[in-house]
Amino acid sequence: MVSTVTNSDVKQKDVDQAVVVAVTFAAVFGPEAEDGSTVYRLGAALPLLQRVNERLLEKNSAEHQLFDVILITTDSWQQQQSSSIINSTRHHGLEISRFCFSTEDNYVESLMQNNVQLFFTTDGNEALQATHQGVPSAMLDKNSVSCPSEQLRVLFCENAIIQPNMGSTEASKKSAQNFLAHLGQMRQKFGVSDSPLCFTLVTSHGGKDSCCCALKSLRSLGVSVDEAYCLGGAPRGPILSLLRPHFLLSDGFSLLEG
Amino acid sequence: MSEIKPTEKTATEDNEAEQDWKAAKAFFDSLKTKVPRPPKPQNAVTIAVSSRTLFNMVAERKIFEDEGVEKYVAFQVEHENDPLKPGPAFPFVKALMNVNTRLRNLYPDSEELFDIVLMTNNHAQVGVRLINSINHYGLTIERFCMTGGKSPIGYLKAYMTNLYLSKNPEKVTEAIEEGIAAATMFMSKQESDLSDTQLRVAFDGDAVLFSDESEIIVKKHGLDTFFEHEKEFENKPLAQGPLKCFLEALGKLQRKFYAKNERLNCPIRTFLVTARSAASSGARVLKTLRSWGLEIDEALFLAGAPKGPLLQKIRPHIFFDDQMFHIEGANELGTISAHVPYGIGQKYNKGKLIETPEKKESGGIGEGSRARHEMD
Repeated sequence: MVSTVTNSDVKQKDVDQAVVVAVTFAAVFGPEAEDGSTVYRLGAALPLLQRVNERLLEKNSAEHQLFDVILITTDSWQQQQSSSIINSTRHHGLEISRFCFSTEDNYVESLMQNNVQLFFTTDGNEALQATHQGVPSAMLDKNSVSCPSEQLRVLFCENAIIQPNMGSTEASKKSAQNFLAHLGQMRQKFGVSDSPLCFTLVTSHGGKDSCCCALKSLRSLGVSVDEAYCLGGAPRGPILSLLRPHFLLSDGFSLLEG
Repeated sequence: MSEIKPTEKTATEDNEAEQDWKAAKAFFDSLKTKVPRPPKPQNAVTIAVSSRTLFNMVAERKIFEDEGVEKYVAFQVEHENDPLKPGPAFPFVKALMNVNTRLRNLYPDSEELFDIVLMTNNHAQVGVRLINSINHYGLTIERFCMTGGKSPIGYLKAYMTNLYLSKNPEKVTEAIEEGIAAATMFMSKQESDLSDTQLRVAFDGDAVLFSDESEIIVKKHGLDTFFEHEKEFENKPLAQGPLKCFLEALGKLQRKFYAKNERLNCPIRTFLVTARSAASSGARVLKTLRSWGLEIDEALFLAGAPKGPLLQKIRPHIFFDDQMFHIEGANELGTISAHVPYGIGQKYNKGKLIETPEKKESGGIGEGSRARHEMD
């Protein structure tokens, strides 16, 4: 049984123009507090999403193209922690407009029912499942949780954690394109420097021309990449550890081939 | 071939790296136009060049300085399909490519080659023009790093860089402090006819190949003391300087040609151009090189004579020196020079101690921090 709860503390976003992102419990909060309190520690991801909203509103107080964040639970244990979750959300003053208390069996359905345009999770399997059903997903880098940052760093990386060709249907490609277009538009509202959003492209295997192609493809989808790294077979570990991305987008990458 | 040892890696990281390598190899092997694939970083001699050393971006830089970064990026994007003109490192890069061709002929399966990486803090959108320009000249540069305004220094290690060339002295100093051979490049004032069959690299001795220990003696105690000191310690090797490892890397590649009987036709030639004199202070230098197991093809002792005219005869693709006085002299007469900001020479100008004002507290937006953010 899925229950959806609106967060009355937060102003609801415009249904047509907001970009709906669902974030899992594990992606929002860190592990349980040791003292057994019912307030969870906050991870880095959500504050950065909020910051983008804040900066967008600074530019234009009537801005509607904002992130509309839903918190979603993906297993029964989490589903049962609903009051602690709501409590912690209030405690940290998080800009979560709705809660979806679902389980491992029905969370994907919840995602679809809520018109989620991007699903952020720390769990590769969850991402795969969602992608199968046409919901673009991005992996939250667990290491980035503890790293302070002024910018939400989104990494486009081929063959990252999610198998690029698995689960890529026409439907999910379309959704991914839509989402990218929105993300690109949000980024365009800021200048080249001092943006709360940063797009990075990393290509591991191809040469400069593959990377250049990917840059141009992303551009044609409305995404203007800020940083680009063409590895050409060099080990990716050292580079990724320096980049400190928050979110890895690799599924919709099949969009960039051909 | 990098002296920089990779940090301890886990088994999975190693495995992933191997997979990445194999996939890249497969990709390049499958290309219809046979583009030489980039070598394995741990075996290659990696040269990182900034966009302003590879290409002439003087006009674009003016736009950046006068009108700011947004206009600069917009301009570059607008002119994306206009190839840039060659910069100071361009002849050097072409010479490196030539050596690679010769090496691939002799050793088709070896990964011990030069690997040229574009290392720039430009934004990726500007990068499209850079890649188009690279393609226009047919340069084999398959790896790059465009950091969108942030310092690229951290990435030098990640790409296992053996030599970093930039137009920005602050970045170069930072690289040297991190233990990476680096130099600030200067375009020469005249056109010069450089060899297209042989890479020619000239090095100053003290504070470039060797430490600045002897230069300190000259500056503090004068030439006579210096001569006595060098004679006395003739058999004690000097400590190494920031470019020693690069000379070593060149030597390793040279020996590959010697092994195939190509010594007389070797496409790499190295020169030592030092103000020391052969009689009094030269021996220590040669003995130090010998103790390191390094060869240098030609050692030229000037005994204080200006370097410019001699370099004009040598016509190197690049000349490394720690003193701006020599860099300027070389430039005037057509030699592409690269300043190594290392050692006591930085505190002096033409033999006189530079009076440096008290360093301002950081936090202000002054010339200093602006330079840090310039697009290189």
